Amino acid sequence: MLPFIEILATLAEGVAYTVWVTVVCSVTGVGVGLTVVALRKLEISSLTIFLDVFTYVFRAVPLLVMLFIVYFGFPSLGVKLSPLLAMVLSLGVIAGAYLGEVYRGALQAVDDHEILAAQSMGFNRWQILLLIEFPQMLRFSFPGMVNEFTTVLKYSPFAYTVGMPEITKQAMALTGVTNQGIEIYLAAGLLYFAIYRILLLALQAVENYWRIPGMKPL
Amino acid sequence: MIKIRSLVKDFDGHCVLNGVNLDVAAGDIKVVMGASGCGKSTLLRCLNRLLDVTSGSIHFMGNDITHKDTDVRQLRQQIGFVFQQFALYRHLSVLDNVTLALRKLRGLSRADANEKASFELEKLAMIDHRHKYPAQISGGQKQRVAIARALAMDPSMIVFDEPTSALDPIMSREVAALIRTLNEERVTILCVTHDVALGKVLSDNVVFLDRGEVKAEASFDYLCHDHPDAEVRAFFGRGESR
Repeated sequence: MLPFIEILATLAEGVAYTVWVTVVCSVTGVGVGLTVVALRKLEISSLTIFLDVFTYVFRAVPLLVMLFIVYFGFPSLGVKLSPLLAMVLSLGVIAGAYLGEVYRGALQAVDDHEILAAQSMGFNRWQILLLIEFPQMLRFSFPGMVNEFTTVLKYSPFAYTVGMPEITKQAMALTGVTNQGIEIYLAAGLLYFAIYRILLLALQAVENYWRIPGMKPL
Repeated sequence: MIKIRSLVKDFDGHCVLNGVNLDVAAGDIKVVMGASGCGKSTLLRCLNRLLDVTSGSIHFMGNDITHKDTDVRQLRQQIGFVFQQFALYRHLSVLDNVTLALRKLRGLSRADANEKASFELEKLAMIDHRHKYPAQISGGQKQRVAIARALAMDPSMIVFDEPTSALDPIMSREVAALIRTLNEERVTILCVTHDVALGKVLSDNVVFLDRGEVKAEASFDYLCHDHPDAEVRAFFGRGESR
């Protein structure tokens, strides 16, 4: 029977993969979300319809289905992807669809008068977006972003289905040879909690650094 | 400096400005007054092309700015705009609020922009607050920063849109005195307001806008006591007791 500390040490080999998948998919999500919200600002009706459809589809389809389409379906089209890229194109893009909505809500909290003031000074649309709207939107959307990043972390175990040796994959392999399921999955849960806690502390530090002095959180 | 002729602006058939004529000479201070909804703010927004006019002309420094070939961004940099709601960028410090346009529109280095902004903030007694954020200063101070932000661009004129509406009476008097001081320094000013007390402090010659038309342009005393229209006398009479 393996001691608990040894179980933890074995599972810890998967921590780097879990963190890597979470970070890469979260960053992808932010990139996709920002792109979606920026394209919406163009107010081109056909583009807006496309973005609406994109958002509905990627929020509605289960992650596992999307992941299998990308990883197992795409090779039939001649496109073979690595497990990480498959996670990025499924989990990362789904996170982006959610974050696009988070950003859209936060963007509405930017004061119209500030935009009007910037227009009246001669700033163009993109300058206003990058200098006035995005910096505030990102701050206002922080709680929503933290939620989405933790969701990405909790969906990261699906990476085992495409062969990534992250924490859950390690736990399943270890359970197969030791039959200590309770201790092993408890240890896996502890590792996820530790990652979540560190992620949260890091994000809170960023949020505090970015907080607008004197302004109450929205 | 500004010559507005037969200016019409309508929104989906609803006429907000109906044949407005108005002149502002260089170094002058012109106050346009009228009740809420009479078209004052629309007039200002037409002036720097935040809104396109329906018909009529606006000549600014000799050029018809309603023409489609007008360089709108260049025009806007020449007309400073101060809003009722201050409209400071909440995520930027007082100093950065003033330097942003200098750096991004004028292409000044951060050091040069800071120097220019500090000069304007010093003039408006806000230099000690330069590292604060809009949420950390009072309404009157915000309006000073908004004025410094406009002045920093060295505009040909500054337009004020209800500059005291969001301020208490003491701060209103401070801002009114500040606008007068600017004008004494030969800054051309166009101010729209429904605040009769402010109008009276700023200029003896007032334009009265009513339902999109210039109904009168005369001295404050005349509009208050001798104008034949009782509505006009009643409007300006409100400021007498203050």
